[in-house]
Amino acid sequence: MSVAVESERLPAGVRSERRQAALASLLGALLLAALLEIAIDAASGHSPLIPRSPDTDGWLKGVGEHLGFRIFLIALLVSCGAYAGLLALAARAGAVAISKRFAIWLIGLIHLILFVGPVLLSTDVFSYIAYARMGVVHGINPYTHGPLSIVGDPIFHDVGSDWVRTATAYGPIYTLLSYPLALLGVAGALWAMKLWASLASIATLILVWRCARIRGLEPMFALLAVALNPLYYIYGLGGAHNDLIMLAAMMFAVSLTLVARPGSRREGEAAAVIVAGALVKATLGVLLPFMIVSRRRLAPVVGTLVAIAAGALIGFIAFGIHGIDIVAALNRDAALVSTDSFANEIAHLFGKPGVFPVDHDLLKAGLVIVFVHLLWRTWRGYDWIAASGWTLLAISVTSTWLLAWYTLWPLPLAVISRDRRLLVATLAVQGLFVIHQLSPLLAPVQ
Amino acid sequence: MSEPAAGAQHDRWARLPARLRPRDTELQGAGNVRLIETTLLLLIALALAIATINDDARQVGINHRLIADLRTWRTYTGHDYKNVGVEQQLFGISSTRDVTCGNTSRGAPDSHAQICLIIDGPTRGGTRQVLGGWYVPPYVQHNDYRYRYGCFGPAARGLCAR
Repeated sequence: MSVAVESERLPAGVRSERRQAALASLLGALLLAALLEIAIDAASGHSPLIPRSPDTDGWLKGVGEHLGFRIFLIALLVSCGAYAGLLALAARAGAVAISKRFAIWLIGLIHLILFVGPVLLSTDVFSYIAYARMGVVHGINPYTHGPLSIVGDPIFHDVGSDWVRTATAYGPIYTLLSYPLALLGVAGALWAMKLWASLASIATLILVWRCARIRGLEPMFALLAVALNPLYYIYGLGGAHNDLIMLAAMMFAVSLTLVARPGSRREGEAAAVIVAGALVKATLGVLLPFMIVSRRRLAPVVGTLVAIAAGALIGFIAFGIHGIDIVAALNRDAALVSTDSFANEIAHLFGKPGVFPVDHDLLKAGLVIVFVHLLWRTWRGYDWIAASGWTLLAISVTSTWLLAWYTLWPLPLAVISRDRRLLVATLAVQGLFVIHQLSPLLAPVQ
Repeated sequence: MSEPAAGAQHDRWARLPARLRPRDTELQGAGNVRLIETTLLLLIALALAIATINDDARQVGINHRLIADLRTWRTYTGHDYKNVGVEQQLFGISSTRDVTCGNTSRGAPDSHAQICLIIDGPTRGGTRQVLGGWYVPPYVQHNDYRYRYGCFGPAARGLCAR
């Protein structure tokens, strides 16, 4: 029997399902091909996009060519297109077009490629290792000194030149967690950091699935919206950023609140997890007021206070007063300006060379207004998870120091929020971020 | 919405006026607030999109100028050196007048006296017009007024300290 005849005999619904599944496979293959191109070319080194790195991907060298802006941006655009296509399929046909097995394979392969490939687009992971080695190998407090104090250490030359004088801005819990990795040597620590990032990412994705299901939302759509987001895996996972650990803590706390009985111990535990996450990266702390205002019970308040007291004690014992002075670290970072920040773009729009001190104050005032409005809305019954997501999005939009992985913060909350405007806004901000990267494609500089 | 707080909890807020009391779920009438929020969000999105596209266009213009400036410097000096620096904001952010500097003879970057060219005007045949320039000794800031010498051309008049 010919294939054409067999195809004609199939019901229209089945034929449509097969077409959708085939399209999903094609888009998945495109996504993987674009990522492979980036990873293999990046491994050949000598690219302005790829940081100098300990040699953990030598076996990939010689396979690809030098990764230039053009190839990278084309691969990024292809990934964004495939992502949009897969999301549209997941929204329309859900599990019909994209099976669980297909999603797991695709996500697993993305994680595997990025785990074995080179560190992409950021030197941050080398700063993490440097701070750990400062504490463990050299006995220097990373909250009072920058990596410049370990010039002779093998990791020093991999730290970004802008950060060699900068003391760590990360929380004491993260710094303590990273300390054991310093004992593994530079290459060992890098592998361990990549493993951590991968495990944190997988935990985040599992929790996204779980939270979406508990809230009666389509879990496949939520999973794919996070896992296949090009900024999530190319920038976030590719750079082994500790933001992924923060996201895992965030989603763990959210999942605890979703299954907690009113006033139960779990609500306190959820608040404590948020505090622990904020002691990895302080940004996560913005979730606490929304959770407390939404719950209006003692358990989250007690959980918060106990966790803050324990975290402060641990931070103080390990690093002294500087280890718990999160405000100073936040103020220092808030003064920085990146070319990709919206504040900088708006300054250029008005003919200014960049962001002035008064602009920092205006942005902070705007952020406070958004925060107070959302807090009031939460008090009056608005979803605290969505309110937290909006606040994280507002922080990234008003920040003068915007990096690709900062736009990931609201994403896991956006996909489990019933306010779909949050997801649209988060993806729109990410889309604008990608568009802002494209100028080398339109006018390549030799 | 997230899971509601227990109903008994509401008693403690009973003294507050109804419009200030906490709620477990939003009132139906929240549609107006939502409409205002959505309108504001759309306006912000529009502003951000305009700023992003403007910045892209600005960067593309800068890149085009950069390419032309490098080519102009190499053509003018007859040196096909790789390490040539371009300063695009010396005459202000909105000025298209750039300063391009490179070694006067072969060697490591900045290891020899530098020749800096003031370049302006539209790109024709891949290059722009040289309006003047100056020299600076090795290993100094290219655009530091104190170190400039041998100013030449109309645009460099009065820009050299010696």
